Amino acid sequence: MESCNEAVVVQALTYQYHASGPFILRDIGFRIDRGEVVVITGLSGCGKSTLCLCISGLIHHHRNGVISGKIILNGKDTRGMRGPALALEVGMVFQDPDTQLFSPAVEDEIAFAPENLCLPPEQIQERVNNVIDTLGLAALRHANPYYLSGGEKHLVALAAVLALDPPVLILDEVLSQLDSLGKKRVIATLEILRDKGKTIIAVEHNLEALAFADRFMVLEAGKLIRFDRTEKILADQDFLMTRRLV
Amino acid sequence: MLLDPRSKMIMVICISSLALIYNTPARLLQLLLVTLVLLFIFSFNLRVIAGYLKPFVFLMFFLFVVQSIFSPGDRVILALGPVSLISIEGVLAGATVVLRLLVITAAAMLFTTFSSRDFILGLVQWKVPYEIAFMVSTALRFLPLFRDELKNVLTAIQLRGVDLKKVPWGKKMVMYRRLTFPVVYRNMLKAEQLAIAMEARAFRAYPQRTYLRQLNLQRVDYVVILLSLLVTFILIMRYIG
Amino acid sequence: MFLELRQVGFSYPQKTSPAVIGINLSLKKSGITAIVGPNGSGKSTLTKLMLGILPASEGQIYLEGRNITEYSLAEAGRRIGYVSQNPDLQLFCASVAEEIAFGLVNQGCDVATLEERVNFYLDYFELAAYRKSFPLHLSQGEKQRLAIAAVLANEPEYLILDEPTNGLDAYRKRLLEEYLHKVAELGRGILLVSHDIAFVDRMAERIIALANGQIQSDSNQRGEGYLCY
Repeated sequence: MESCNEAVVVQALTYQYHASGPFILRDIGFRIDRGEVVVITGLSGCGKSTLCLCISGLIHHHRNGVISGKIILNGKDTRGMRGPALALEVGMVFQDPDTQLFSPAVEDEIAFAPENLCLPPEQIQERVNNVIDTLGLAALRHANPYYLSGGEKHLVALAAVLALDPPVLILDEVLSQLDSLGKKRVIATLEILRDKGKTIIAVEHNLEALAFADRFMVLEAGKLIRFDRTEKILADQDFLMTRRLV
Repeated sequence: MLLDPRSKMIMVICISSLALIYNTPARLLQLLLVTLVLLFIFSFNLRVIAGYLKPFVFLMFFLFVVQSIFSPGDRVILALGPVSLISIEGVLAGATVVLRLLVITAAAMLFTTFSSRDFILGLVQWKVPYEIAFMVSTALRFLPLFRDELKNVLTAIQLRGVDLKKVPWGKKMVMYRRLTFPVVYRNMLKAEQLAIAMEARAFRAYPQRTYLRQLNLQRVDYVVILLSLLVTFILIMRYIG
Repeated sequence: MFLELRQVGFSYPQKTSPAVIGINLSLKKSGITAIVGPNGSGKSTLTKLMLGILPASEGQIYLEGRNITEYSLAEAGRRIGYVSQNPDLQLFCASVAEEIAFGLVNQGCDVATLEERVNFYLDYFELAAYRKSFPLHLSQGEKQRLAIAAVLANEPEYLILDEPTNGLDAYRKRLLEEYLHKVAELGRGILLVSHDIAFVDRMAERIIALANGQIQSDSNQRGEGYLCY
């Protein structure tokens, strides 16, 4: 039996976008505990985003994809779970903000997830207010997300997923688009979430940006080549140099 | 003026029904004026309508000409030997078609005087299943987005050094043909990613859904709805009878 | 002066406060300049005004002495290579190779040069393996590299890059830096919009800081003035 203390368990995960295509992920396996903060890094095109999509179960939208292996979220095997049900286990902020915002106002965008969870209006309002406060979005509350700047869109996309309040949170390169104030706010928010026992997986190129993470996972050409404590990886300059990560 | 979106939806339905039933340019012209006054009351910028219609002016003119030529009539204005080309009846028929189009477009503009989220709320509170309400609203929103997307691509092409105004027609057609697939395909990708993003935020996790805001019909809304339905009914009866 | 902005202002119709206001700025034809500032401070808007993608609602913009309104988008685009923030919006061809060749083909480039340049840019930006792939199927980082390569291939005399390091890993960032330095050494000018402070620090000779649509500082010294954001 899988212990419930493990938020994410991945076993022998392999993925191809189509049966005759190259392997995007090869035989990936790891365990992440509840309340851990893990950074996934590696050169672009190494499979980081695909791995995120696999964990969040959204990869099934690629109809020709071939997946094998096992992914267990919060003790539940995700095979055969419906997308919206998976959303209760894991939330994901995508890399491209333009394709994940669809509401006429920032407030509506943030309210969308708690509305789907059938919360009573007072609780929805409370969640919306909380998220707007923590991420400093008060001035944009009634703005149309479509007309915001790139960094602002990223903050709104994150806010919308935070309102879902999932036990596992995946961020695909969200920090890189933010200014220093936005970065500080997001990092502070992530630290609060971690203290609340949320599990956070963040894709990042900038190794220093999330130095408070517990562990770093390094992917190379679809393979997991190292998964180690943050301080060990950041101190191993030889490794970082040869893998071209700095 | 603050009206419930549902009141406005009823108005749009009434105006569109009248536009489809009326068959003379005079009646349709009156209807168009009423619609424009309504838009004005809801502080809609009439210049924006002109902007929306601009690309269709040619199409409307074309429709007008075609209708004028192909509608038979006795009072001939222009004839080519024994073959009558344009008659007064034809011109009137052409004007009818174009005016009808204008009325319906103008009425649809009422939809833009409230947010798409209010539109969804309105439908849902009228017992329309929320999946369908979101689908309709997304489809309505997708049209202007598609237009923006096309504009973005055309801007990108020109910035890479292609003077669209100076490219000869033949070459332009070849270029457009080659660009059609990528442009259509990227919109499909976008639509799919949008669906994924909605699902990732638990859309359709439960058969029911709650809402942050609630629409409430005020007394003025009941008055407007009843009045619209009544007036439309009387007008139709008088027109048919 | 290559680009000159006089009292330039712009407001989006949907917003109440202006996106940029009272901008006075001159850019030389050579050297690397950076615009920095918080999210939503008007950086991208300013670059769109410079190319004539957006029309200034106030003030004048001159490109080599001629008002930008007198240029067609294509004329401006041939002189200033522009990479916007979102690579998705500027990729429109059916394959990666076509995307890089697009501008060259339309300039009537001969087949041999075309072949050579396309291959060079595919190799340099490590996109050769995706030669025939559909651009929008690439990963975000690859799309970003392709968008940059497609504009560089035209070899315009000036470059405006809006957040070029978005989605790039450290190694690709270094490749881009090396290439841009080479471009600058050839006497061509570059304007970078970025909030990647380390990148700006390594690249730019002149740093313009923007906040709330206004210029806060404009300095030739690194590490000062713009740190406040």
